[in-house]
Amino acid sequence: MFNEERKKTAFQWKDLGDIQAGRPNLGLTVPVLAYRLLQYTLRDVLISEVGIDRANEIFIKSGRLAGAQFCRNILNRELGFHEFIAQLQRVLKEQTIGILRIEEADMEHMRFTLTVAEDLDCSGLPFTDEVVCHYDEGFIAGIFETYTGKPFSVREIDCWASGERVCRFDARQVTIDR
Amino acid sequence: MNEKVLEKLASLMQGTIPEKIDLESDDAGADRKLGETVNQLIDFMQEIHAFIVPLSRGELHGIRIQSRNFLASPFKELHSRLLHLAWQATRVAKGDYEQRVDFMGDFSEAFNSMIISLEQNEKALKNKIVELEKALAHITKLEGILPICSNCKKIRLEGADPKVQGSWIPIESYLRARTEAQFSHGICPECVKKLYSEFMD
Repeated sequence: MFNEERKKTAFQWKDLGDIQAGRPNLGLTVPVLAYRLLQYTLRDVLISEVGIDRANEIFIKSGRLAGAQFCRNILNRELGFHEFIAQLQRVLKEQTIGILRIEEADMEHMRFTLTVAEDLDCSGLPFTDEVVCHYDEGFIAGIFETYTGKPFSVREIDCWASGERVCRFDARQVTIDR
Repeated sequence: MNEKVLEKLASLMQGTIPEKIDLESDDAGADRKLGETVNQLIDFMQEIHAFIVPLSRGELHGIRIQSRNFLASPFKELHSRLLHLAWQATRVAKGDYEQRVDFMGDFSEAFNSMIISLEQNEKALKNKIVELEKALAHITKLEGILPICSNCKKIRLEGADPKVQGSWIPIESYLRARTEAQFSHGICPECVKKLYSEFMD
């Protein structure tokens, strides 16, 4: 299941296992340190193996897959848009993933500016004049796509690592010309 | 160069944005790096000034610090939070009480209490309206001209044939069917005298 060759992604929510049963003593949560250790060592190796652009693409794609599964398995997709956003904000806080705040929402063009504070990926990183939350870009896109059923493009325009102290994302529905 | 640097720094500390140091002048020389750094600081402060002044007037849109100006980071964070509060306020104005402001200290507390109060007040008002509507539904308004028999005081039903006896109903039945009023029966002194005079002393 985990070691089979594949040409298409095959991740399913149940692949995460029964964490409660598997960690009766250590519990469901781990320090951010462990998450970042995985994320940044993986990033390091990927960049060295396949280059920056390809590595970032892989992070975005993985984030998109995670966002889609997260939306499908954790969030109530039957809610209206603003209720859904309130729910997302609440769940991201409960899961200690980040503090979601909507800055602007253009419902007509399905374009949103949102921020994630205390972000799991980057908050507290040294200022390096770079944006680094590619996984988040994919994660947010995956959530929006799964909720709306429409393709979304999400781009990080500000990042803690670029000195903004908050991660700001521009999310917009992609119009497909036929 | 040192004098120029001190002059520029003093100007910044007094809250004014000075002209940048002319690095092409003859005395720039060996301290060029220092001059460049001070000029960058002046750029940063200029950018912050141009950002924070409209922000202090409540102008949240159309202002942005483009460059990677790390000095401005807290102001950008403040801007971001104010934008979020403005969006939240817009949602509340549209009757969306699902939203909450997280981790913004006194703002969160005040804003979230306001949303909860508004929601409770609206709910209470809606309940009151439902109660009043129910009460209203029980009250039949009696108005207009009622055709009444001048002798027996029966009321003729609306639109019914006056020549048919069934069209006339006792006034008690008429009012009972259209209001919440109930009747108890007694006899007034005048009628007692008329009907039961033989029993009177």
